Amino acid sequence: MRAILLDHQDIPQSQKLDYCYFHSALQDVLQESGFLNAAREVDPLAAALLVAEAAKIPPVVEVGASALIAPALMPDEVPEGPIAYVDGARLDKPHRNLAVAKTAFVNLGEDVAVVSIDEGDVERVETIYAYPFGKFVRKPDLTRSVIASAGATATQWARVALAAEFAGAAQAAIDFTVDYVKQRTVFGRPVGSFQAVQHRLVQCSRLAKGAYYLAMKAAWSKAPEDAMVAACYVQSEVQKLMYDLHQFNGAMGVTTEHLLHFWTYRLRALQSETGGAHGAALDIADSRWGAAGDNGRREC
Amino acid sequence: MEFGWPKEHVDYRRRVREAINELLPPDWEETYVRESYASDLQIDFSREFCAALAERGLLTPHWPAEYGGSESEDWQHFILGEEMKAAGEPRGPQYMNVNWIGPALMKYGNDEQREQHLRGIASGKVIWCQGFSEPGAGTDLAALRTKAVRAGDKYIINGSKIWTSYARKADWCFLLARTGEGRKEISVFLLPMNTPGISVSSYPGLPKYGHLNEVYFTDVETPVSGLLGEEGAGWDIVIHALSYERVGVPRYHTGLHALDMAVAALKKEGRFDDPIIRSRAGMIAAQFEGAKLMTYSVVDQRVKKLPPNTDANLSRVAALEAVNELMNFIVEFLPDCLAGGHLLLDDYYRVNVPAGVTGGANEVQLDLVAQRGLGLPRMS
Repeated sequence: MRAILLDHQDIPQSQKLDYCYFHSALQDVLQESGFLNAAREVDPLAAALLVAEAAKIPPVVEVGASALIAPALMPDEVPEGPIAYVDGARLDKPHRNLAVAKTAFVNLGEDVAVVSIDEGDVERVETIYAYPFGKFVRKPDLTRSVIASAGATATQWARVALAAEFAGAAQAAIDFTVDYVKQRTVFGRPVGSFQAVQHRLVQCSRLAKGAYYLAMKAAWSKAPEDAMVAACYVQSEVQKLMYDLHQFNGAMGVTTEHLLHFWTYRLRALQSETGGAHGAALDIADSRWGAAGDNGRREC
Repeated sequence: MEFGWPKEHVDYRRRVREAINELLPPDWEETYVRESYASDLQIDFSREFCAALAERGLLTPHWPAEYGGSESEDWQHFILGEEMKAAGEPRGPQYMNVNWIGPALMKYGNDEQREQHLRGIASGKVIWCQGFSEPGAGTDLAALRTKAVRAGDKYIINGSKIWTSYARKADWCFLLARTGEGRKEISVFLLPMNTPGISVSSYPGLPKYGHLNEVYFTDVETPVSGLLGEEGAGWDIVIHALSYERVGVPRYHTGLHALDMAVAALKKEGRFDDPIIRSRAGMIAAQFEGAKLMTYSVVDQRVKKLPPNTDANLSRVAALEAVNELMNFIVEFLPDCLAGGHLLLDDYYRVNVPAGVTGGANEVQLDLVAQRGLGLPRMS
């Protein structure tokens, strides 16, 4: 008998103690099984449901860009995944999933460049976020494969994807916390029996439920404004979730032995993408009430 | 999951809007909305308006045909509520009649009571008030102290009710009174408001005049036939009746409408180019949209006859948070609206002053979701 873990048994455990646990085996399964093709073969709503479900598990897999952004940009072609969505205006900065990506969609504003990533193109960046962040070591070729006039479409579906991912991760973090506060006792009674805790957890639950419906509607309608609304809603609420969920998990929640950070630091990473809540809110204002300086008014 | 409106719902909404446009007088906003939907003026108008709605089949669409309805599903009823609230609720108090008083009578009333009341409610000419809250029993309704004591073939009622909107003009009161010493030994009485011994006094408040009334019952006699259901069955009746109101007022709909008005006012002042104001408005719109979808999910559950859960309470929480953001937005960027500058935004603000209190305090909604929805333990 060997009482210590064998090497192959030890890998998942050690990764769980990291800030991010990218599950490459599960990623392969998702890609090979065809699940990530749901938007092409069924509809974007099916893909959004998949994204939300995948975001509920502690390990991270790249689903949002492959399942929602790629089909919108390349309906007849399946680019090699995992895929990173990259803001062209911040090309030199670290981006989510870039450390493991085989393809990057670089949103240049007007157009989108599709970049194949080879070994050595990208370096991993250490971060508290629960995604494999990476940045380009050398400037990618943004001219070889360009999808013209696709910038707005990419932003729209990046928003749907982040909202769906938020919905799943937030719900999982809330479920995890609810379980914890039922079991953990303080002052002789469960933490979850205190009204101050209960009310705030309900408000967290409201955020997750609203996020879920908004994300799904945005996937269903394919309407840019619905995507703005979904992103704005989730991104403006990250701070509240972060504070409350970590507060209720107490000191355990600041260790990486606890699972909480796998979800909460995914939410943090999503908080600023595609312009963040402020950018989405300005886009909503443009869409609903006309651009700044435009006194015309949309019929509601 | 499917988020579109089928043609029949789109057509129905158009019918409702057409009716509103045709039936409201030209001075509706200036004269009636200024007075509030609980005002005597608007309550009187509701008798005309609801009668005309009834003629068009738009007053009780979700009721069974035998009681004057068209047996349409809850979606139509909900669309109707959205459009009416957005128009300033020209049904006045009668939204209560069709939403839950009528359905309660259908379920718990005897043949005589159903015959007596349901046709009247469906005609749009009868005003009811809700005799629930008391000075010492609001959200904790079972603490009520108004007493009904059996004396032969009648009951003698003594006590008082408070926050009784529409009481001054009501024909009938759906009254809760204690008929035993046990906490939930409560009964429902269908009481004519012109019964001797009933008096009503009104007082001003932050909402507009007409909402805040107190009703006193001094040796009020009512026949046993005025009892709804069995003696002591009042608690179950109320829980059932209010389950029709679980989703409550479509605050997201009136909120988005008010937000549009606020933006229009800011544009008129040339101030809506400010990115901070634009961003805040966009965020509030997103909050209302979230509350809207959560509410729609509850309506859909109801249409599909799924067992009730706490999603309705959660949707109320969501809507209330958005309402508070909008009220704050109005005051921060359009303070003049509450000083004669914008009649409809002033009305929106005032109607929503008690939004977190009426129909069960927000804290109780939070308790219910925490304990029944999330399964968190009750405080021992």
